Amino acid sequence: MTGARGKSMVLWSVVIFNLITLSLPTVIILGASLTSGDIVEFPPAGLSLKWYGKLWLLDNFKDAFWRTAYVSVICALISIPAGTLAAIALARFRIRFRTTVQVYLLLPFTIPLVVSGLGMMMIFGEIRILGQLWPVGLGLCIINLPFMIWAVSATVNALDDELENAAANCGAPPLQAFLTVTLPAVMPGVITGALLMFILAFNEFLVSLFLTDARIVTLPVSIYNSIRSVITPDLAAVSVVYIIVAGVAVFALDKLVGLELFLKSK
Amino acid sequence: MTEKFSLEQPVNRRHFITRSAALMGGMMIAPRMAFASAPKKPKELIVRAWGGAWGDALKAGVADGFTKQTGIDVRLDFTEDNEIKPKIWAAVDQGRVPPIHVNWDTTTNATISALRGVTVDLSDLSNLRQLLPLAKPVGLEGYPLVNTYAYVYVCAYRPQAFPDGPPQSWTVMLDPKFKGRIALYDDGIGFNPVAVIAGGGTFADIPDNMEPGYAFYRKLKANNPLLGEDADFTNWFQNGEIDIACTISVNARAAKQNGIDVAWTVPKEGCKVDTDGLWVPKGLPENETYWAKQFVNHALTRDAQQKWCSLLGLPPVYPGIAPPPDLVNDVSYPTQAADFDKLLRVPSKALVENQPKWFAKFNEIFQG
Amino acid sequence: MKHSFRYPLAWRLLDWAEAAAAAIWPRRWASLTGYLLLMPAMLLVFVLVIGLIYIGENSLHELDIYTYRLKEAFSLINYRAATSATYQTIIGRSLGASAIVTAITMVLAFPYAYVMVRAASAWTRKLLLIALFLPFFIGQVVRAYGWLIVLGKQGLLNSILTDLGLPAIKLIYNYPAVILGLVQYMLPFAVLLLAPAITAIGEEAELASESLGANWIQTFRHVVIPMARPGLIGASVVVFTLTLTDFAMPEILGGGTTDFIANAIYDGFFQISNPGLGAALSMILVTIGSILVTIIFYLAGTGTLGFSGRRP
Repeated sequence: MTGARGKSMVLWSVVIFNLITLSLPTVIILGASLTSGDIVEFPPAGLSLKWYGKLWLLDNFKDAFWRTAYVSVICALISIPAGTLAAIALARFRIRFRTTVQVYLLLPFTIPLVVSGLGMMMIFGEIRILGQLWPVGLGLCIINLPFMIWAVSATVNALDDELENAAANCGAPPLQAFLTVTLPAVMPGVITGALLMFILAFNEFLVSLFLTDARIVTLPVSIYNSIRSVITPDLAAVSVVYIIVAGVAVFALDKLVGLELFLKSK
Repeated sequence: MTEKFSLEQPVNRRHFITRSAALMGGMMIAPRMAFASAPKKPKELIVRAWGGAWGDALKAGVADGFTKQTGIDVRLDFTEDNEIKPKIWAAVDQGRVPPIHVNWDTTTNATISALRGVTVDLSDLSNLRQLLPLAKPVGLEGYPLVNTYAYVYVCAYRPQAFPDGPPQSWTVMLDPKFKGRIALYDDGIGFNPVAVIAGGGTFADIPDNMEPGYAFYRKLKANNPLLGEDADFTNWFQNGEIDIACTISVNARAAKQNGIDVAWTVPKEGCKVDTDGLWVPKGLPENETYWAKQFVNHALTRDAQQKWCSLLGLPPVYPGIAPPPDLVNDVSYPTQAADFDKLLRVPSKALVENQPKWFAKFNEIFQG
Repeated sequence: MKHSFRYPLAWRLLDWAEAAAAAIWPRRWASLTGYLLLMPAMLLVFVLVIGLIYIGENSLHELDIYTYRLKEAFSLINYRAATSATYQTIIGRSLGASAIVTAITMVLAFPYAYVMVRAASAWTRKLLLIALFLPFFIGQVVRAYGWLIVLGKQGLLNSILTDLGLPAIKLIYNYPAVILGLVQYMLPFAVLLLAPAITAIGEEAELASESLGANWIQTFRHVVIPMARPGLIGASVVVFTLTLTDFAMPEILGGGTTDFIANAIYDGFFQISNPGLGAALSMILVTIGSILVTIIFYLAGTGTLGFSGRRP
């Protein structure tokens, strides 16, 4: 058990166990969405694409889908400057009360989503920006910001700070060094973070519940509301659409920066 | 037109033309003047509704008819009744336009909103007069909401688990053979008053002495009940997870119509009967408030009530409507006074005042 | 005629930008640049802080049952209610679950991250990463329903058991089901936060350890895991806080009797319409969470969540 074989067996059995538990729900939902019956079950009662057909014909689905995409783009766009600059600041610059700042920036995780949602609903309502889509994007960016900061910091930390010194040595003033050396170097982390924010916003329903209303409802909220009353296979079909979107995002991520980025160290 | 012209007067051609022109003009102006008194129609009305069969029933029974009559589109908002409360309240308190025009809500929830003062008074609706007394909210001034139908929290059960016939008493839930196979609403709604009677108390004990009910809950806790909401009950029956539940008859009937083997009964201790209603939030623009009220008014017409409630399978507040064929003489469809005698109706004011206390106790017993 | 010499456009733009930046943020403030860069993120999170202040204010008022609005007077009754026996159980349960989930997730995630990082073939790495990402993006609710189908009374697992002649087990609507759901939900987060730390441990360290006579278990215990500490800390903090504040898993997989704090908060705001009580529970949750995170950061540094602290 202690030899190389043993190591392989133990580690790989854990890995396979994880693979099964990670993929099982996905496979189930995929299967349940192909059912020709009327309820969600697995194995499905006969195979059919009828629930996907119903989905495409649903007006609300298409509108909600595009609204969700719009909101997710806004979320990613806002998070890029905020997260990137914060990560660079924490890694490169002198900050006093570093730990306090980090605990502060972790607040979106320590405050439960219900509370964040309610709080933002009150504030946005007070300043009268509720009822539009971009505040939803803003809200989603705020609650997921730590992910962006983390994604960029993973690359920033891997950056050799000697590069900026070298640029200064060659006569580059600070802003120029930042724009021509630092930013391009952290670009992989920024892209990763942006895609991460996009997908997290695409899935978010709890905070969106508070910031949207029937006129601007987004897809996750729509799904969540439907699940409250009755669970039919078209919800499984929507989930499969999500899986496909996720698949496209993962593929894009791989092509743009290479998935291996996530393995890179500090 | 001929009355205008007396036979004594010579029918002068010029007079004829002027007068007929005047008359035609008058006829064309008159209808416009009649509509000018009705406010501008909004593009759409947003009505909150429960999803699935409930939303479908509202659409087919009320919304479609309203759209046909007035040309105003009705959009359904499927946000849960509990979740839309803070949204409406925040909007009204902050002076914003609320997110919906009409709220199809439980009477208890609607009463809470009424107590907060966020509802529009509906006393001037023309269709209120012909409804059963059930339509008027008890303990509140005027009509901050209108009850639209009643429903019973029946004892739904899987007939296979009860070969000797339907359960005669709620105490069968304490039978260890049903351990883990009982279901209740996760806030005790629909069962709190029944628990008191099943625990040995009487109706007079509600709400001041709920101890028999709490004692019953403590015994029930040992039997590991499942706690959930409407969608869960259907799931659980569908997947064979439970044998007996206290749930609204609509859920049991929907499960049955989907081919699941479910039946229901009113045990000897009785079942809680409650109402749902419609209300209009304050803060809408004047013309939209008008049309929202017209929607509620439309929902109270005989036609709408008959369609809507027969799809739901619930007794409407409009008198004299026959039940759907599968619910004739059904215990969940009380029509006569005698039927109501077997059921427990707690005034909504008492419910609203005591619900937090009962919920806290329910939580304490079942979450512990 | 010679044209006068002009620098390239890009250079001139950059010089102009540099001058503008120097005008807005003079050189003598250079040491404060860090704070400037932090500003956008701090402001965004500040929105949450304002919301929290508002909610905190709510927690100090009692609910008036007759108008269902919060009374004017200040009172601590909500905090007394929020620390009553029922809620102590719920808070205790949430903290316990967070600890258990964090521990189990670390045990499951570490080998996965290790195998993924050390895998010889790029395809294996890619496959493991994709298998990690895909469920990550599907969302809690849908995954929870997938588990209900697998573990239900008539679900996949029990069908297999009954086919084998074994009795069906009650696998859902209880505490273990919630733990399982949370563990498999947190797994991708943990792996992603562990991976960079493991990559940073060069293989040479392990080879050296083995050449000195240690078997792989000892190498793990004395070399790999200690060196991966930053990753373990970062992953633990994230998994712990996310589990503590989770709402969907206990709601869907718990059968209604395994409420966590977030479910109690939801009930307070929505079911019994007592924003005061919901607010008090929220403040308690945020305080506990922040205190725990602060303690961990002080004791152990911020790990891969934070910054190696290369001082400028």
